[in-house]
Amino acid sequence: MRRETRVTELAEPFAMSLPAVSKHIRVLERARLVRRRRVWREHLVSFNPAPLEEIGAWVEKTRAFWSAQLDALDDLLKAEDAAAARKPDRKRSPQPTRPSKRGASR
Amino acid sequence: MTFDPDRTARVTRRFDASIERVFDAWLDPQKAGTWLFATPTGQIVRVEIDARVGGSFVITRREGNDDIEHVGTYLELDRPRRLVFTFAVPKFSTEATRVSLDFKALSKGCELTLTHEGVLPEWLDRTTEGWGGILSSLAGVLDH
Repeated sequence: MRRETRVTELAEPFAMSLPAVSKHIRVLERARLVRRRRVWREHLVSFNPAPLEEIGAWVEKTRAFWSAQLDALDDLLKAEDAAAARKPDRKRSPQPTRPSKRGASR
Repeated sequence: MTFDPDRTARVTRRFDASIERVFDAWLDPQKAGTWLFATPTGQIVRVEIDARVGGSFVITRREGNDDIEHVGTYLELDRPRRLVFTFAVPKFSTEATRVSLDFKALSKGCELTLTHEGVLPEWLDRTTEGWGGILSSLAGVLDH
């Protein structure tokens, strides 16, 4: 269980008014990073790390995605090299009369 | 606990092929159609690439009855060193993200560093404001 703290206590080390701190906490609540509940006059807040964990998951998923993409790119380039090696007079071999512009198809 | 959220995915890869070939494979529609956004189960059915700054691309993969579009706009194009584009898969998310490719020639082949930055939620855009300290403070409560 996440520990709760009072908003007033949380605001103490900051050179900010209580309403300013409260405004920031609302931003964090909307982001689900902070939970707030009211007990009598006291507002108790606690930290919820789930959104940060979601970001970590996105980063992992995205890296795996691009790794697979770059594997596919490497496979394509290697297949092109293998094809060029089988047919040495194709366009991928160096041309003696002008600088090679291989791959520049635009 | 330090509060240092980072929604950036980075992958670095070396290729035996020349820097120009690796760069061009991203923008040549015929080549891109064979690998970019391809999967073992899907088939690329549409590739449109307008390779200039401000130009767009659409690469559509068919998975069964589903057509999955990958779309974006080129933001920087500096052959063969750097390519930056926005990127979204509207079927899964309307979020526009940003992909930067940095190419470095090596004595043999080249090295590509790909950086994919996700959209920063509101609370991450406000790094200069007070909430960062508040959150660290609050998170610190957990550690004691």
